[in-house]
Formats: sequence, structure tokens, C-alpha cells
Amino acid sequence: MTTTNTVATKEGFAEIKTAKLSTLGFFMALPPVLVIIVFVGLPIFVAFIFSIGYTGGPNRVISIIGQDIFQKNKWWGTPDAYLTVFRDARFLPDLALTLVVTFLSTFVVLVMSLGMALYQRIKGGKIASILSMLSLVPLFVPVVIAAYAIAQFYNGVGFMRTFMAQFGIEFPIITATRNAIVIGTIWTSLPFAILMITSGLQSVPNALIETAQDAGASFMRIVRTILIPLAFVPIVIAGTFTAIGIMGSFTVPLFLGPNQPTMLGVEISNFFTAYNRPQQSIVMAFIIFAAASGIAVLYIWANIRSAKQSGRI
Amino acid sequence: MSNATLGLELVGLTKVLGGRVIIDNLNLTVEKGEMVSLLGPSGCGKTTTLRMIAGFLIPEKGTVNVAGKDVTNLGPEKRPSAMVFQNYALWPHMTVFKNVAYPLKIRKMSKSEIEKRVHEVLTVVNLMHHKDSRPGQISGGEQQRVALARALVQEPDILLLDEPLSNLDAKLRVKVREDIRDLQRRLGITTVIVTHDQDEALSISDRIAVMNEGRIEQFSTPQELYDRPATEYVANFIGSLNRLEGGYSDGQVTSGNEVVGIRPEDVTFSKTQVPGSHAATVELVVPRGHFYEVYLKRADASLRAFISIDVPKVGDTGFAKVNKALVYKDGKLVRTA
Ligand SMILES: Nc1ncnc2c1ncn2[C@@H]1O[C@H](COP(=O)(O)OP(=O)(O)O)[C@@H](O)[C@H]1O
Ligand SMILES: [Mg+2]
Repeated sequence: MTTTNTVATKEGFAEIKTAKLSTLGFFMALPPVLVIIVFVGLPIFVAFIFSIGYTGGPNRVISIIGQDIFQKNKWWGTPDAYLTVFRDARFLPDLALTLVVTFLSTFVVLVMSLGMALYQRIKGGKIASILSMLSLVPLFVPVVIAAYAIAQFYNGVGFMRTFMAQFGIEFPIITATRNAIVIGTIWTSLPFAILMITSGLQSVPNALIETAQDAGASFMRIVRTILIPLAFVPIVIAGTFTAIGIMGSFTVPLFLGPNQPTMLGVEISNFFTAYNRPQQSIVMAFIIFAAASGIAVLYIWANIRSAKQSGRI
Repeated sequence: MSNATLGLELVGLTKVLGGRVIIDNLNLTVEKGEMVSLLGPSGCGKTTTLRMIAGFLIPEKGTVNVAGKDVTNLGPEKRPSAMVFQNYALWPHMTVFKNVAYPLKIRKMSKSEIEKRVHEVLTVVNLMHHKDSRPGQISGGEQQRVALARALVQEPDILLLDEPLSNLDAKLRVKVREDIRDLQRRLGITTVIVTHDQDEALSISDRIAVMNEGRIEQFSTPQELYDRPATEYVANFIGSLNRLEGGYSDGQVTSGNEVVGIRPEDVTFSKTQVPGSHAATVELVVPRGHFYEVYLKRADASLRAFISIDVPKVGDTGFAKVNKALVYKDGKLVRTA
């Protein structure tokens, strides 16, 4: 900005104004970014260098207290903490359980919420809205309470078994099995997925469905070729959020799952507190983090795809 | 499969929605290859009628026959009709080609056959250059043509259009309506078009069904509707009208209990007296583009006239003549004079 500027045009002022606005915008976006950098990014960084053997600085105290701490022995650190985790007989079964539960639960959650959302979208009416309201109930029950309730329901002296026993049927004890975790995670994840997918399907205009019908499409074909593609992003969001949430879940597997193998959320906590092996617990956390990042990539891909479709990019 | 002369036949259609009778015992016969408009004000039941023809609504009473076949109880996916919705309803996640190919894929046609047919119809609507575009990337007029192509590719026995031009700007509207009419004639496809725009209806239809509160007031050719509107409602709705209460004789409005309708274009003004004309004063002149709307005061009535040559000025005196009057009693046409 110089005063010798001879063409002080309207556009010139507009330019200054936009410049000001974009500066303002930058400062408005700054606080959350700073919070993330300081309170999330930095701890992640510190934890990561700890996992590869940087035991000084902010990691000094934990290194003194913790057991089986590996110090860096190459210029970049050490892989030893990772190697011990992978060689530990508990880890791979834990990882497998975590992934299987995540996959199974997410799949069931998606299928169930899609069914619910489709029913509401196509049929509507009183029953549909009552059902969808009921399906939101878990959203208002704290996970601890829900997990405990489910455990009580299915355990050795739980309702299911005592009730069935009246008819001479021995109902299996489901608690402390993988399936109990799946049931619990479905219970806690379903409401969000239903909300997300229902709103996705509701935003598909009637005329788009009716045109397909008019062209001769069957119900299943409309679902497959019109409804699901048009609600694709909300479905992927529901799926990725559900999967990431389940992958890192703690309360449900703690209450409902077996002791061994257990999901990594529980194992990480065990390693950190019960076994006093902080470095190994952080290693496991990073492995889960990597898996979750894979899911996040899927999410970003879906968003880009939809942006391309609507011609935004 | 289709009867040679039958296009569409609606017999005694009745539809109740939200506890209200929306369509009341409606009858309509459209011949094969004919283009018929459903014309009426918003809310009179045009869309409801069209949706019953397409199969999205099932009538409480009455039957729908398409090409001589009773389709009353068939769903839209089984009917030989194709509908173009008001907002075109193109699928945003498919290209223009895929939108048009969709109905054919359902019919399990071979890939090459689909390609051939889609290319044909896209050529007809002049959109081949956009076949790989997405609906979001083309203009409203082009989207309209894609929707039309998607309907035409189905080779339906009847084409249904719900206010197909209402989302286009005025200039484009006139062009597209001509295109539609031209296409309809060339393909000889039976067509029902819904509109609330009388100009549109008058300019493209073989016949027009004027609707009022769920009933058809009159079903005739545009000329007939204009010359001999069967009811006062139709006379008011189509064209412009001087509506006067009283009787009519010797070119003058008299006292009486009838309604006299006089088209402004049937009123002439001259400086000299001719047989049948009566003294008049010019009260107001409003330019209307290619003609002037002239307000005339006569002893018997105030009349509006549309005049395009020898336009008088305010305050001029002369003689006004009514060349034609429509006389209604209880809303029905009793005579023309
Ligand atoms: N699903 C419905 N429930 C109740 N009333 C309806 C429904 N659909 C349409 N109507 C009513 O029926 C009347 C005719 O509607 P419509 O056929 O859309 O009119 P048009 O197309 O002539 O403008 C309107 O008064 C409208 O409010
Ligand atoms: Mg309508």
C-alpha cells in the first residue's frame, strides 16, 4: 500500500477489504488449530518419540517408573519396543479380535441402520417414527451403565438364562465372549449411524425415486442404484465413525469381553497400569492409530468423490 | 399391443387426499398421437390427475386406460407411461448418458442396443455433446431436454409432462415449448402436459382441458375455447374479458340477470358512427407493447378495448362497437351475440 498509487479504484478498495476479511478468517480459525496442536499434536509427537526410544525430556519420569523401557540405540531411535509387542503372545490375538469385532459390528450396524433408514424413507408413518425414536434411546444411556446392564442380562444368573430355564432351556452364557462385545458395540453405535443414514436418505428428493419407479425400477434396484449412491457420503461417515469408535472402545469390551484375548483398548490400559509397561502400551496405541488412519482415508476419499460428482472440484 | 386409435381414457376418476375430494368424477379421452393440456390455476388438481395417470396415486373410484388397456391397479413401474417431473429429477450421480440409459438397463437390453438407442434420442434432443456431463454441469434448458430424452427413450404409449417449462426463463420457455411440440408431432406420441400458463396451452395443444377445483370445465380445441368458452370460469381464465352484469341486446348492455363477457379485442373504436356503435369517451390509454389497452366509457357500460391502429388519445370522443359478446346465465354459456 503506497500513497503514490494513482488508480485508487473501487476494486482496489474491494481488494483491501477481502484481504482484511481473509486475515480475520485466519485468526478465527486459529484458536481451534492451536488447541489441536498444543493439546493433541504435541502429546502425540512426544508419545511417538517415546515409543521409539527417546526417553529424555518430557518422557524422563515415565521412563524411570516404567518397566521394560527400551532406549534409542540407533541415530533415529530403536524398533525394540515394537518388536517386543509383536513377539508378545497376547498382541496378535488381541489385534485380531479388535479387527474382527470392528468389522463385524460395523457391518451389522450399517446393515441395520440402512434397513431402518430405508423403512422410514420409503414407508414413513407412525410405526416408522416410533421405531426410529426407540432406536435413539441408547444415545441417552451412558455406556458404562449400558454395558453393565447387558452383562447382567446375559451372564450366568442373568435374565436370559433364568427366563429360559423356566422352560427347561439352557441359554448359553454370552458374557466374556467376542459375541457379547459385538452385541454391546452394536447397541452403543447404532443410534448415531441411524441418525446419519436416515438424514442422508431423507435428503434424497421424492422425484428422484419416483422417476426411477416410473422408468420401471424395482424397489431393490432403486435402493441399489439411486438411494445408496445418493446417500453414499453419510453412509461412509456413519461407517468410518462407527468403525473408529469401536476400534478404540474400552468400556464395552472391559465389561462384556473375555479376559484373553481382549480388545486393544483394554489391553493398552492393562499394559499401562496393571503391567506398568508404558512404552509397549503406547506402541499398541500407535498400531491402532495406524489402522484408524486407514479408515480415515476412506472417509476423505468419499468426500472427495462426492465433491467431484457435484462438480465442486 | 396398443389399440390403433386409443391414447388415454380416464373414466369417473375420483381422488381424496387429506380428507378432501381433490379430483371429482373426472372424465377425459385423449386420442392417439394427440397433445392435450391440463390447464388450470395452482391447486386445481392437475398434478394429482397426472400422478394418477402415471400410477403414483391410485384413484378411489374410476379407471385409467392407456392405449386401450386398463392400468388402474398397476404401479408406475408397470405402466406404459413416462413422466417428466417439474424439476426434471435427473440423478445427479449419473452422467447424461447414464440417466438416459437407466430405463433401458432395467429392460435388460444389450449394451450395444442401449448405446444405439441413447445416442439416437440424445441426437433428437440435440445433446450428444453433453453425453458425459453431469446434470449439475449443464443449463436448465439442457437438463429439461435430458429429462425429456429419458422419458422418450422408453418409447412410452403416453408421455406425461408436469409443468415442464416453469423453471425456464421466458425466452427459453417459448423456444423449448416449440421444440417439445415439434418433437411430439414428429414422433406422434400421445402427450398430456400440465400447465397453468394459458399461452403455453393455447400454443402447443391439440386440445385443452380447463380444470377448476378437481373437475374439467371444458375440453376443446384452443380456438373453440377462445371463441365459445362454455362457462364463465373458462371465459375468464382464457384470454382477457370485460365482465358485465346485465343483459345484452342490439350491441348494448341492458339491465338483466345475466353475465355479459366481451373480449377487449372484440371492441372497436371509431371517430364516425357505424351501424351498431354507440357514443364513447376515451378515459385511459395504456401501452401494452404491440397494442394499446384503451378504457372507453359508454352510456351502457365501461369497456376495455385492445387497439393497435388509429389509437385514440385520452379525452377523445367517438363511437365504440361491440362485435361479439358471450352471454352467461348461472355460469353457463346461453348464447353469443
Ligand atoms: N398428499 C396430499 N395430501 C393432502 N392434500 C394434497 C396432497 N397432494 C395434493 N393435495 C392438495 O390437492 C390439491 C391439488 O393439488 P395439485 O394436484 O398438486 O394441484 P396443481 O398441480 O393443479 O397445482 C391442492 O389443494 C393440494 O393442496
Ligand atoms: Mg402441480
